[in-house]
Amino acid sequence: MKSTFSQIVAIVCLAAPLHAGAQLSNPFEGDARAIRAGERLYANRCAACHGADGKGATGPDVTMLWLEGTNDERVFETIREGVDGAVMPPSFAPDEELWAMVAYLRDISTVPPFDAGDGDAEIGREIFAANCGECHRVNGAGGTLGPDLSNIAAVRSREALIGSIRDPSAAMELGYRTVTLVAADGERIEGVVKGEDAFSIQVVDTDARLQGYLKANLRRFVHEDESLMPRFGRLRLSERELDDLLAFLATQREDASAAH
Amino acid sequence: MSMRSVFAIVAGFVLSATAPGMLLAQSEPSDEGDTIPFARSAPSEIVPGDPSDPGVSYADILRGFDDQSGWLTFSGDYSGRRHSPLTQVNRENVYRLAPAWTFQTGTLTRGRGFETTPLLYDGVLYVTGSNNYAWALDARTGRPFWTYQRDLPDNLTYGRNAPVNRGFGMLGNRLFMVTLDAHLLAFDRRTGDVLWDVVLADYEIGHAATLAPLVIDDKVIVGISGGEYPTRGFIDAYDPATGDLVWRFYTIPDWGEPGSETWPNEEAAMQGGGGTWMTGSYDPELDLLYWGTGNPNPDYYGASRLGDNLYTAAIVAVEGATGELKWHYQFTPHDIHDWDSNHVPVQAELTIDGEERRVVMVANRNGFFYVLDRSNGELILAEPFTDTTWAREIGADGRPIVVNNDGSGGCLPDQWGGTNFMPPTYDPALELFFVNARETCSSYVPFEPEYVRGEATMGGVVWTDRDAEYGALRAIDVMTGERRWEFRYPSATMAGVMSTAAGLVFAGDHQGNFMAFDGATGENLWYYPTGSRIWGAAAMTYMLDGRQFVVIPSGTTLVAFALPRYEFASPAGALIGR
Repeated sequence: MKSTFSQIVAIVCLAAPLHAGAQLSNPFEGDARAIRAGERLYANRCAACHGADGKGATGPDVTMLWLEGTNDERVFETIREGVDGAVMPPSFAPDEELWAMVAYLRDISTVPPFDAGDGDAEIGREIFAANCGECHRVNGAGGTLGPDLSNIAAVRSREALIGSIRDPSAAMELGYRTVTLVAADGERIEGVVKGEDAFSIQVVDTDARLQGYLKANLRRFVHEDESLMPRFGRLRLSERELDDLLAFLATQREDASAAH
Repeated sequence: MSMRSVFAIVAGFVLSATAPGMLLAQSEPSDEGDTIPFARSAPSEIVPGDPSDPGVSYADILRGFDDQSGWLTFSGDYSGRRHSPLTQVNRENVYRLAPAWTFQTGTLTRGRGFETTPLLYDGVLYVTGSNNYAWALDARTGRPFWTYQRDLPDNLTYGRNAPVNRGFGMLGNRLFMVTLDAHLLAFDRRTGDVLWDVVLADYEIGHAATLAPLVIDDKVIVGISGGEYPTRGFIDAYDPATGDLVWRFYTIPDWGEPGSETWPNEEAAMQGGGGTWMTGSYDPELDLLYWGTGNPNPDYYGASRLGDNLYTAAIVAVEGATGELKWHYQFTPHDIHDWDSNHVPVQAELTIDGEERRVVMVANRNGFFYVLDRSNGELILAEPFTDTTWAREIGADGRPIVVNNDGSGGCLPDQWGGTNFMPPTYDPALELFFVNARETCSSYVPFEPEYVRGEATMGGVVWTDRDAEYGALRAIDVMTGERRWEFRYPSATMAGVMSTAAGLVFAGDHQGNFMAFDGATGENLWYYPTGSRIWGAAAMTYMLDGRQFVVIPSGTTLVAFALPRYEFASPAGALIGR
């Protein structure tokens, strides 16, 4: 059966020959037909592990790659070579197919520019230190229980961040889900789950202590629906203060991109 | 071909530079100072064609577990039960089970698992590994006699996605192994030398071979992988002496033959999948092979292959002597979920309504547990062993009454299924079938695939709610299909199960635990974290020097467990001191 994809590749190749250079650039970048072809190839070869939407399944999320500082050539090389020590196999498909997949991945990775709003970043810094810094850190300063927020404005939209602040329990990331343990002596331990099997659970507790527990030695353990992070409703954090906080987090994005 | 064996190099030197019968190697220093390649060989034994030990006979394999010092075929015997008679490790002492040795393979399975079942003969384990490595290991210590590694082409198709192998077959002094580039090899078990090498199929269009060959009387039975590609599955029988093809059974009939009317046209049929990549079982009295067949292709896109798509997602009973189809039962007509039926068919003798029935049992990827009469394929029982909503029930006509084919009506099993190829086990004393079940929630979005030579044609994507999944070891009452007990794991597992006459069930999980349970109650009696998920493999066990070993592959290692040595009165000097 003749592949329509081959025809697309042939046409695009004529228009944009592969460049030989210090850093390879994607000949299909932004090309709608190549992106469509790349989507099909991704679905066939990658989606089983990386998820139909690229947000990860058994394999990692691949929608954050560029925001985390990679480039087209590195993604191309990763697909080509596979990942040593991990489960990802190398690919022997033609270059054109790999570039089409790179074009698709880049397309789905695009997050609209973060709307910093008109808050005051300096006031936001103080709000962060007073309310968030115990558990979150930016640029190395702050707590370790919650995720590092240094680069958060580069990987989350303003709306998503507002959602996470106002209602943190709505979507808890893997590795930050709450568990309550009751030890044999009745001691109550709250923390986030870093790992679990049928017999044990690995927890970072609210004192940031890393500790594993054998389930047989616990009186009980409960996976909670509520995040350890409190809800920051309007009484706790006004719209104005929220704007200031987001402005501060947006400045971290600028710092992060400057670092790349 | 590459032969990376210290033994072979030493042996080759001996044979070329000296007269047969001279024993040099024991006095020659080797790379590893404490390795004695000819430890159990008299000089004459290294001369090809003059073995003093004739090796494994068909009669030996027929005896199966009656010979407690061996494990001569994939499931331990032809029944597919993986139920060992050994009782030294029992419910009272299993908590003292400890690692006896670990063998590091040094070869990583990208994307899959270390899926092999070692064979044991005369104190030596014959083990296949990922990327077509293979070894002969001292079953007392895990130390290698020889190592084989195949030079594989760099344009593998299915074989690059699943670079696995599930084990050797064995007859005489020969071992049989299939390869990722879809060949069948015969080895000399004493040297690891390849004696013959035949092509099963064209790997470049999508084929590979991964299963453990099943040796029956004077035939080596193998199947083929590649149902994710536009291929046509088959079961082959080869002459163990020469590698000549004796017969081939295609899982998709020739166009115009019975069954081909379940395909819309010849083109769809001839690339319709139906792989045979899991070792079957065998009833020597009926001379019937029971073999699972894989998904139709494209996996998720059914519009181009309307019809039942026989004999995909089915079990076929094929005559050992001729390869003729005796009966078939299709578990999933017109499958669109990649629910291969490549399971180990498990045989049992059951008294049903006062009548002795020879049955074959399958816990299927579609979430149902089936009991069939293995002489004629008659359906005796079909009950769900998962909480699937795919089909309300299996109707009186043997066909599923499907209510949720796309995942919109509740939890539909993911593309890995309600269980998978990992071996289940059956304890005839308890009349319980033990299987690692997978509870998952997926929805399926099909699309027409592109056809590119050597590329998979899945024809869709699958959305899975990973928060909703879990795994469970389940005990199924084979008379009723009811679940007697379960033990849950945090995620769906791909690990197999083995049982013993001591009433123990050994299972693995995706977190890497290797565990022992009381088969009657489901109580966990022992576990050991191996450090890597146990995937596709089930345990095997053997007696050696009066000590029972239990072996499990995990990650890149093979680990043997046993009770502590001081608990045994073993013959003086039989064990190497440690």
